[in-house]
Amino acid sequence: MLSPWLEHLVFATVAAGAVISSLLVVTRRNPIYSALFLIVMLATVSVMFMLLDAPFLGFMQLLVYGGAIMVLYLFVIMLINPREGNLPEEGGAIESAFAAGVALLLFSLLAFAISNSAEVNKFAIEGGIPAMAEIPLSHGSIAAFGLELFHNHLLVFEVTSILILVGIIGAVHLTMRRKSSAKNSLQSEEGAVTADV
Amino acid sequence: MFSLPSILYLSALLFCIGTYGVLARRNILIVLMSLELMLNAVNIALVAFGRVHALGAPAGEHGGQIFTLMVLAVAAAEASIGLSLLLVIWRRWQSIDLRTLCRLNN
Repeated sequence: MLSPWLEHLVFATVAAGAVISSLLVVTRRNPIYSALFLIVMLATVSVMFMLLDAPFLGFMQLLVYGGAIMVLYLFVIMLINPREGNLPEEGGAIESAFAAGVALLLFSLLAFAISNSAEVNKFAIEGGIPAMAEIPLSHGSIAAFGLELFHNHLLVFEVTSILILVGIIGAVHLTMRRKSSAKNSLQSEEGAVTADV
Repeated sequence: MFSLPSILYLSALLFCIGTYGVLARRNILIVLMSLELMLNAVNIALVAFGRVHALGAPAGEHGGQIFTLMVLAVAAAEASIGLSLLLVIWRRWQSIDLRTLCRLNN
């Protein structure tokens, strides 16, 4: 258990790191830098989960996102090997300004909703997130989490496994090379796309 | 600083940065990464809400965390399908530009 001021310090650092690295993700031209900054951002989110008493989710975030999904991204980036020549040219200033305007509008709407919600502001006035002492000690422990997952949400868990299965089959089916189209793609082979997923 | 509204503001800010990335960029890879950014922003809000609502529950209520775990699974499925679509597009047009998708046929 961290002391309160240390907790605030960690939260401020992690929040600043998350915002800066996610800004870098969306502005870098080369996707490999974007992917590396996205890994930093996912790590900061993992620290945020741990601060919010969800250590299991924090480690899952690191394992599944940092370990599996981002490796998949990096693998695909290495596979298609984007060089300066075949990177798509980005839209002009007008397009970026339009996107930034939409994002700012969305943020101001969300901020308006957050600042006006009585339910949320109840927790701002009472001194923030309830301290560890006020909630059950088992909260966030893997045992309590697993117990609740397999007692009350078993169906959701099983349906998720079907979803993952569909994802695997879909990925294999999409990237599989058929006999008829193999000749066409062989002619333009410099991408060297091997379809063994 | 470390209160529910501040976490929600952070989550909203990250979500909007992700929105900017989806709208402004033409590189399909970066658009997919911005989608991951948006999913993570929502995850932070879900865990924070779950943390707040554990206050009254006798055994600890983990609804927010379980929801986040499901979002994690959906994100994994989304990444695998999205990246295999990207590979198909790359194989056909040798391009990762979103504008190549404007053409329906050739």
